[in-house]
Amino acid sequence: MFCYQCEQTDRSTAMVGCADTKGMCGKDAVTADLQDLLIYAVKGIACYARRARALGSADREAGGFMLYALFTTLTNVNFNPTRFTTLLQEAARVRDRVRAQYEAAARTRGLVPEVLSGPAAWQPAADMDGLLAQAKGAAITAGREQVGDDVIGLRAMVLYGVKGVAAYAHHAHVLGYEKDEVHAGLEDLLDFLAGEPADIEALLDQAMAVGRLNLTVMELLDAANTGSFGAQQPTAVRVTSIRGKAILVSGHDLKDLSLILEQTRDKGVNVYTHGELLPGHAYPVLKAYPHLAGNYGTAWQNQAAEFAGFPGPIVVTSNCLIEPAPGYRQRLFTSGPVGWPGIRHIADGNFLPVVQAALALPGFTADLPEKTITIGFGRDAVLGVAGAVIDAVKSGAIRHFFLVGGCDGAAPGRNYYTEFVEQVPRDGVVLTLGCAKYRFNHQDLGDIGGIPRLLDIGQCNDSYSAIRIAGALAEAFGCGVNDLPLSLVVSWFEQKAVAVLLTLLALGIRDIRLGPSLPAFLTPALLEQVVARFGVKPITTATADLEAALRRAA
Amino acid sequence: MTGFHAIRLTTRDGKRLGFDCTANESIVAAAAAAGIFLPVQCRAGACGTCRATCDDGDYALAAHSPGALSEDAATRREVLLCRTFPRGPLSFALPYDSSCIATEDSAPRPAVVTDLAVIAGNTVRLLLTLGPDPQRGGGAAFEPGQYMELKIPESGVTRAYSLANTPNWDGQLEFLIRLQPEGRFSAWLSGGARIGDTLSVRGPFGSFVLDQGSPRPRVFVGGGTGLAPVLAMLRRMAEWQEPHQARLYFGVNHESELFLLPELEHLSRELPRLGTALCVWRPGPDWTGFAGSPVEALRRDLEAGAFVAPDLYVCGPPGLIAATEALAQRHGIGAGRVFSEKFLPGR
Repeated sequence: MFCYQCEQTDRSTAMVGCADTKGMCGKDAVTADLQDLLIYAVKGIACYARRARALGSADREAGGFMLYALFTTLTNVNFNPTRFTTLLQEAARVRDRVRAQYEAAARTRGLVPEVLSGPAAWQPAADMDGLLAQAKGAAITAGREQVGDDVIGLRAMVLYGVKGVAAYAHHAHVLGYEKDEVHAGLEDLLDFLAGEPADIEALLDQAMAVGRLNLTVMELLDAANTGSFGAQQPTAVRVTSIRGKAILVSGHDLKDLSLILEQTRDKGVNVYTHGELLPGHAYPVLKAYPHLAGNYGTAWQNQAAEFAGFPGPIVVTSNCLIEPAPGYRQRLFTSGPVGWPGIRHIADGNFLPVVQAALALPGFTADLPEKTITIGFGRDAVLGVAGAVIDAVKSGAIRHFFLVGGCDGAAPGRNYYTEFVEQVPRDGVVLTLGCAKYRFNHQDLGDIGGIPRLLDIGQCNDSYSAIRIAGALAEAFGCGVNDLPLSLVVSWFEQKAVAVLLTLLALGIRDIRLGPSLPAFLTPALLEQVVARFGVKPITTATADLEAALRRAA
Repeated sequence: MTGFHAIRLTTRDGKRLGFDCTANESIVAAAAAAGIFLPVQCRAGACGTCRATCDDGDYALAAHSPGALSEDAATRREVLLCRTFPRGPLSFALPYDSSCIATEDSAPRPAVVTDLAVIAGNTVRLLLTLGPDPQRGGGAAFEPGQYMELKIPESGVTRAYSLANTPNWDGQLEFLIRLQPEGRFSAWLSGGARIGDTLSVRGPFGSFVLDQGSPRPRVFVGGGTGLAPVLAMLRRMAEWQEPHQARLYFGVNHESELFLLPELEHLSRELPRLGTALCVWRPGPDWTGFAGSPVEALRRDLEAGAFVAPDLYVCGPPGLIAATEALAQRHGIGAGRVFSEKFLPGR
């Protein structure tokens, strides 16, 4: 195996990356290799899908499959090699169907169909040893000797961005929202990668194309979430438990949360959110369920201790899953793209086994004293008070905004984000999104003239809200986003963050502080390019970075 | 020289565990004292449940049954951890995942007899329902393939039996039990047991479980009531709709000893990639199925190339295990891909 797609990748060797029998995330070598091969197979589908689309024969079902398949390969999503052998067979069938459609469309137009090679011509080997042999040629480092680390790193950046785009698009897709433009964009990018590009400028151009496509997807996901569940509203969320039977829902999937709420209606079971499902409490359709009881625990990396202490079943709906401990394996469930060998997977949206588990397990035996945090400052809520915010800026009551957000993780250096927020001056407002918020969202930062100093925009999936808020402020002040008294302090962990980062860069947003460590696929030469072109800066210390941000704004 | 030796265990999934052990303590006992409850059953070197391989270090291996650990296996530095005493620092490779190791001792729970029926000449099916537990709730949580200890409160007679059903939230436990002519638990089952009686149960125990991370074909060999844990695994596969190619070899001596055939047919319908071979050692004249042992039927299929690099799960008497392991070795199936559970007299 070789994998360096996430922030926690093994940095103890000369060629940074996980290359042992198991990755830092817990993914074993077989699973990692099968994931590489699945990416290869999906590129093959895209090659034909792109050509079929150009001839007016688009296949949305194939597009949906590609989103799902790509999502399964994100960090902390699916660790089950059996699922990948099944997906590989399915990928070959989808590719064959799309190829047939393409060839039929070409002949109908009197054209001679292209005969493609590489990923488009791949045929799954008959057994596991054969699949693993094929995977060697599909590794992210394939061709490294010929093209060098910079090209491999840029290919990786484009691919990881594509994975992030696919994950966001999948979330919209399960809510019934999709766009041909998105499927077409992904097909173009995957077809580009299938051609083993080696031109640095072309790769950088395509990285920006990933960013632009992701903006479209984020807008689509925003429409899916608000269209399905209403616009987020400022909401006080209980963070202490209530006596009674309980289900914990983790991950990002609001649809699964809604299904679980509906299927537990009047069953005497309370539903708690975990990690990135905290924003679920702010959506009117979801918060209307009286048994959506509260938020339990913190961010994904703490799940082993938190899940062990939860007295009911736990559902992990999408990333991020870590190796389940024996103490809660029997009451852990996965859904959507997520999987772990030996853990019950709910594939059809029927959460009855979870409900049965909740009724059989003890639940919480006592009420804890009530504590709440306030969330729900999506774009509608913030822009609804835009006048007051603009007045506060003009009067000097608000001097600076800091967007501190992204992914959380276990690295010790992530204390930086807590320290940063704690040091933000009293006339500063912190906007946050993603699970990085758990580093500081329990703190009461007070308000400025009634405007909370900590505004929780939502999940990392709600990045579109943040972009819209920044755009609206820029418009109100008649300047560009880079001229606003706004600093972006981003914490990255996995491929969705890569997609969002590429969106910010594609929008021309500069001087982003990125940490806790920089992506391993950015070689020193690539890093130099990224710094020169986009002004991305690695984090240093909270004090120094905060001073620099305020100095720049002054 | 200190009286303690450092012991390191590495599970199949790469988890490392460490504790200290004196020269007079077995590895199993020292692990339990450190809060690490390894899969173990007889604690007397008779059952083979605690088998492991010593990677490094010196040890003394106390007397044990050759059925649990053969001389050849002992020469390869395989050990029974309940009979292994350190003579210095030791490291062992465990043939199961960390999920098979408990971190707290299993407290007994009451379970009520809800059904008891003869399903073949000398085999009964016993159904129990667990009573609610304040910490664990009312569910039956275990891995298919594991077993429970059942104790008759009045007599104190305790036996271990494999679970035949899958984990569930209703507290249901299902056992397939061969009645032994001189067996005390058998005597209770065939004479004194009544619906509504309460037993004391402990568990689950055991490391004979599916290697869930393996996408290889799965071949199951069950001899007599050795079908029970295998049936649990197949039921799990059907419940979760697992896609593996699978084949079951169910062996008995006479066709009158076959049982649960409608259930096996149902599983074949639920699992399209499951094939079943009923193997009767000494069939009557009307038997049209395979005549011979399940190992012979498996040999026939391996020679015909029916599976590529399968995982083998085998449960039954020691002779069946030994014959299957030898066959696997001849066909290049590594010892790490053969998972077994011995049914020994006295369980």
